[in-house]
Amino acid sequence: MSNTRKKQWRWPISPETVRSVLSSHSILGLAFAAVIYLVCLTGTLAVFAPDLERWEVPATPVARTLSDAAAARALAEGAKHIPADTALYLALPTPAKEGASLTAFSPTFERKWAVAEDGSLSDLEAVWTEFLIHLHVNLHLPRSWGEFIVGLTGVALLSSLVSGILAHPRVLRDAFHLRLGGSRRLQEADLHNRLGIWALPFHFTLALTGALLGLSTIIVAVLALLLYPEGGMKKVYELFLDAPPPVDARAAPMPDVAALIAEARARAPEAAPQNVVVERPGRADMRVTVTSGRAKLLVQQDETKFDAGGRIAGEEHPQDFVTGTRILGGIGQLHFGWYGGLPVRIAYGLLGIALCVVTSSGVTIWLARRRGRGRPAPQWERIWAAVCWGQPVILTLTALLSWFAPEASLPTVWLVLTVLSIMASALARTVPGPSLARIWRRALAALLVVLALIHGAAALPKGGSLLVDGLLMAGALALFAGELRTRAKPVAA
Amino acid sequence: MIVWASLLLLAGGALGAFLLRRSWQQRDGSAPGMIAGGWFVLLGLVLASAFLIGPVKGTALALVMEGIGALLVIWQGRVRRKAARLRDAEAAPEPLEEPGRFWRGVLRTLLAGPLGMTAAMGVAFCVTVYLPGDPRTRIVLGGLLMPVLWGLAMTWTLADRRLLRATAVLVGASVIGFGLAHLGASA
Repeated sequence: MSNTRKKQWRWPISPETVRSVLSSHSILGLAFAAVIYLVCLTGTLAVFAPDLERWEVPATPVARTLSDAAAARALAEGAKHIPADTALYLALPTPAKEGASLTAFSPTFERKWAVAEDGSLSDLEAVWTEFLIHLHVNLHLPRSWGEFIVGLTGVALLSSLVSGILAHPRVLRDAFHLRLGGSRRLQEADLHNRLGIWALPFHFTLALTGALLGLSTIIVAVLALLLYPEGGMKKVYELFLDAPPPVDARAAPMPDVAALIAEARARAPEAAPQNVVVERPGRADMRVTVTSGRAKLLVQQDETKFDAGGRIAGEEHPQDFVTGTRILGGIGQLHFGWYGGLPVRIAYGLLGIALCVVTSSGVTIWLARRRGRGRPAPQWERIWAAVCWGQPVILTLTALLSWFAPEASLPTVWLVLTVLSIMASALARTVPGPSLARIWRRALAALLVVLALIHGAAALPKGGSLLVDGLLMAGALALFAGELRTRAKPVAA
Repeated sequence: MIVWASLLLLAGGALGAFLLRRSWQQRDGSAPGMIAGGWFVLLGLVLASAFLIGPVKGTALALVMEGIGALLVIWQGRVRRKAARLRDAEAAPEPLEEPGRFWRGVLRTLLAGPLGMTAAMGVAFCVTVYLPGDPRTRIVLGGLLMPVLWGLAMTWTLADRRLLRATAVLVGASVIGFGLAHLGASA
């Protein structure tokens, strides 16, 4: 290395190491690109799960407020429709979450209702939203395996973020450069680096919380082996969960839940009740827990527990929660952006799209580099087009299918379409990758319009919100506009 | 409240990035005021948000909104290039290319995957066992540390061409980590 180069090099690691780290960044990115992209894409959509549920079921009532009496009515009504040993979870409207919902859950039974302001229930079975969330959380694989793979993807993303920074000696010098047009590789590299750097705290938070959520089962399993060889995983979970009350299966009437909520409010006046959980409803060993949240805290930290007779069985306030429990409670909130209402969901959506672009452009840079060196990989260009643009198309198709045939097995359809799209792209040798990407984009724009029109037409007479349909239309228009612009200003390879 | 705070933070992120960009455009270091002002706005709003909205909620909101605001400034300042050819000065470092050998690929996958995970777990659980405080906090901190350490192990093993060294370090970290953690847990 010449003296001049030595003087110019201000990065803490040597040029040789930078190239090694860049190589590691490429290997890792390419190995996990498709899964990272799928997890990011579904995660971006999953942020809007509360909105998507209401979009799927257009007549859903959205309670702005729910009185204590209405909450009690909703719980009493829900208790009539569930099997024994099923817990009821009532989520009250909060500034961060519009609408109230009631979920009945046991290992063998699950049902969800929307709660109107008078406490009446209406079914909230949003099959596509549920399919989407499970695709994000465990890829519809057996739970432990699926979550492990998604957790591993989070670790790979975390590692890519670290190697991406270390491999970018001009991170500060280039921080404001965004050069479009000209060389495709330079354009994609600028997009990749700028979106990666300026949203780094967001990307890092998502990767870390996602990795921990995905790997939690294996972490707990190994920790249990180490710390509690005789108690097993149950012992670790017991540290975080309340012990259930002693079993007493005799029938007992539901206590006056409205009075219990009022009591909980009186015991924590700075907090507002946000959840009511009824375990073992209708039995003498029933437990009612009212959880309340404070404006400045991310996690609800005021809990009042009552027994079947409505007597206080325990209470906890912020000073009683240890740091570990607070962190654990906040991980999901930070990961999905459900702590600040629609503005935060929109921001998470935008930065989620940015993360999808970062992932996609990483592969495009590699493909462009190969093409630039006279070693093009046309088959991989087509396959990447099928992943990058094909997945949104396939997800849109599953949304359409769920509308016409709610009983259809969406995971199977998604898997079959994904395999077919990748195989067809690999075999379509006469179609260049960029042309295939264009075909997928046009199909996506057309399908978004169809989906918006079908849902909009059904929602309008029922007085449902057209927000999501409007966003679908806007997405379609943006895609059409992008197509026109690309035609006018082609980018060199 | 969140709506107005979000808009303010978005605008603050854009202002901070705008000031930093102006100083960057001068390129001769003659605008220290703008650099200081840019960072003051960005960091000041994070602190103000943490104080007014909540320590975690406010910080998270500020980082997200300021990031979007800054990206808007970057997008606004985009330039359209005409030349298709890369100049040397614009070219980023190239990844190191090694002749592909199957067994090296397999070994690297094992190092970055299962062995990296085991080493990360060993070290993280050592922290869990020996850290003072409530067991729930120690478990959660150890759990958070594990993916970070695994990610670092992945980066390092995939970048290090001396596979034997990487193997020795990861095996050593696994044995020592789990050994110490086991000793601490049984004590």
